[in-house]
Amino acid sequence: MALFAALAEPSRMRIVSLLRSGSLSVGEIAERLQIRQPQASKHLKVLQQAGIVEVEADANRRHYRLRAEPFEELEIWAKGYRELWNERFDRLDDYLKRMQD
Amino acid sequence: MGEMTIKAEGLEFAMERVFNAPKQKVFAAFTECEHLKHWWGPRGWELTACDLDFRPEGSWHYCMTCKDESQGEFFGMESWGKSVYRAIDAPNSFVYTDYFSDAEGNINAEMPPSDTTLVFEEFEGGTKVVSRTLYDSEESLKTVIDMGMEHGIRETWDRLDEYMGR
Repeated sequence: MALFAALAEPSRMRIVSLLRSGSLSVGEIAERLQIRQPQASKHLKVLQQAGIVEVEADANRRHYRLRAEPFEELEIWAKGYRELWNERFDRLDDYLKRMQD
Repeated sequence: MGEMTIKAEGLEFAMERVFNAPKQKVFAAFTECEHLKHWWGPRGWELTACDLDFRPEGSWHYCMTCKDESQGEFFGMESWGKSVYRAIDAPNSFVYTDYFSDAEGNINAEMPPSDTTLVFEEFEGGTKVVSRTLYDSEESLKTVIDMGMEHGIRETWDRLDEYMGR
């Protein structure tokens, strides 16, 4: 899953931002991004292959929505980074206090 | 507190903290072995080697050793890292690339490096430190995370810390 390759493209990032508010059709996405529908389709395909979006099958209308899993993974990474630096900063805080006593 | 941003260049993590100490002192705490040995790294790990040349393209070669018996299999483990300084604007900021290393100071090219920028600002009588770390590929992060997960310990992120060479 090439998560970054999928996300590291401005139009696709904008699609992801759009979909945070709810699912949309290709036409709606193209309109809001002011791009042509085939282009929007192409980007959505990349996002779909990367597991970032999925299609809601709803009668005749295909809507795209974000999948939670990739973002949950990223959030785990973010949490790890926060904990790492928090612990370091805690130790630095203690040390600076001792230094100044 | 603690932001993650997805950028075209990769994933960036940012953290900030305000310390009740003057900026010069805080900057020194980040850039001199005499100070770093007192706080760098997770609890229970000590800086047992520290060779720091603070100038652009200079490096900080260091070893973290686990001195905490309660950390099980990590007790006694050594983790070598090397940070290469890229840009320095003392005492306001500096940028470095952090690598996995060994006792001889070789850079382990198979392990992912990361770029960190540290900014120091006077803030309400103290000093605010902002740290931003950029991981330039998903593979880098996956490698580090997978290593952390393999060992299935609670302090996964202390493990992450160890493998990041810090």
